[in-house]
Amino acid sequence: MLFLVLARKSYLRNLQYRSSHMIHNIASCLFGFIYIYIWVGIADDNSLGEYGVNGMISYVAFNQCSLWVTTFLTHGLGIGQSVRTGQIATDLTRPAHLFYQSMSKEWGQIAYQFTYKFVPIYLLYFIVFPLHVPGSWATVAWTAAALLAGAYISICVNYLIGAAALWTTESHWLYWVNIAFSQLLSGFLIPVDWLPGWLQSASGASFYPFLHYIPAKIYLGLERADALFAAYAWAAGLTLLCLAVTGLMRRNVEVQGG
Amino acid sequence: MKTLRIYRLLVASSIRSRMQYKFNFWFSSAMSAFISAVEFAMLAVILHKFGHIQGWSLTESGYLYAVLHLGRTIYRTFASDVHHLEKYLVSGDLDGLLLRPIPVLLGLMTLNVSIRIGELVQGLAILIWSLHGLIASGQIGFAALPLTFIAIVSGAALMFGIGLATASVGFWITRIEVLQNITEDAARTAAQYPLTIYPKWMQGLLLGIIPIAFANYMPALYILRGQGGWWLVAASALIALLALAAGMALWRVGLSRYQSTGS
Repeated sequence: MLFLVLARKSYLRNLQYRSSHMIHNIASCLFGFIYIYIWVGIADDNSLGEYGVNGMISYVAFNQCSLWVTTFLTHGLGIGQSVRTGQIATDLTRPAHLFYQSMSKEWGQIAYQFTYKFVPIYLLYFIVFPLHVPGSWATVAWTAAALLAGAYISICVNYLIGAAALWTTESHWLYWVNIAFSQLLSGFLIPVDWLPGWLQSASGASFYPFLHYIPAKIYLGLERADALFAAYAWAAGLTLLCLAVTGLMRRNVEVQGG
Repeated sequence: MKTLRIYRLLVASSIRSRMQYKFNFWFSSAMSAFISAVEFAMLAVILHKFGHIQGWSLTESGYLYAVLHLGRTIYRTFASDVHHLEKYLVSGDLDGLLLRPIPVLLGLMTLNVSIRIGELVQGLAILIWSLHGLIASGQIGFAALPLTFIAIVSGAALMFGIGLATASVGFWITRIEVLQNITEDAARTAAQYPLTIYPKWMQGLLLGIIPIAFANYMPALYILRGQGGWWLVAASALIALLALAAGMALWRVGLSRYQSTGS
């Protein structure tokens, strides 16, 4: 099955650099420490609402881990680079759909990042902080389903960012703009219900809460699994958009360089 | 003088080459400003919701953010490719710089001069807004303005020193991205918030090992709150000079150990 072959190859390619990635986890952990201490500092004279101080520590720690599943994917799924080298022309003529190829490779990347980034960082936080542990296996399963939905949505968004490389040489900025929006609107650091009204509306009208806010709340047992219906609806809508954009890409292949 | 003239010529040439792609320049300026604005928005949202972080109000936190941000903008404008030394080490492109009739570091600093107009405007806007609020409330007087200028310039020198020392480690280990993540990115993120929110070990790290707290928090203690004394601003400038000297020394030793990757 092509999906498994591509995902496995992507996983194995990453495996070659796992020592380097483990060192990189130190930096990622440090960022998490900073974010956690911000909330611990605020909790000095605030009760932090329904979360409480331990809830917010767990919320931020979980999100720092889930960044590696739902946010930090390959820039534009590597399509921008493929446009630069001209490889895109070959990729578009392959007998498998470009979206399917790119998505399959990215799932391998995500599986790798889950194993070698999410898990070790989570374990470290688990040792250092009083982290919340899901009360039932059903919560664990729904959290996993939420992360999978978030990862898939992010794959679609990155595919669209990569596709933009066929129209502009500056598409890499879109990746960082998406990350910036995600930091603010996904509830990564600040739960969406604490955003000002207009930002809450902007967040609610987007897919961003499904990257961090909803998975983290399900993990904490503060959100019902029903919330995932909307996540899977977004995933379906974005898939259709990716397929439509691929049609446009086929008619607009511009290979740079010579 | 001759070196300085060559430096000016190379900087002007770098800017001219960058301005050949005007749309790319303005687009990237707008995007980087937007990304920075979102970064500040996160801090502003927290303060909007909770009023203060351990006694630091929104205007005070805005000041901390703006001083740090402007210092970094100056550093990254004039030494953009010092931050990107890794790609020169990996590709062997540093060899070309060794042949130029100017110091290697100066040559590196003239490549890809990065004019960060968006970040500069955004940083200045937040600084002016914060200073206006603080002066209007009577917390500080106009004497804070020159001190703020000193804090920004010394912060730029400090961050350049830290960045240069980190880049110099690349002469031994080649890949420095992770190290930069810790010494530059994580440290800068931490310094956006008042130092007192962190546990003692992290405060020690940000004051002693990677002394980024001297880029904004330490001078701000005196400028905004009158704590300590004027010597806090002077000490911050002195530490910036020491960090710069240490970075330069490490650079010189590292460069003497440079081995090209060849081609």
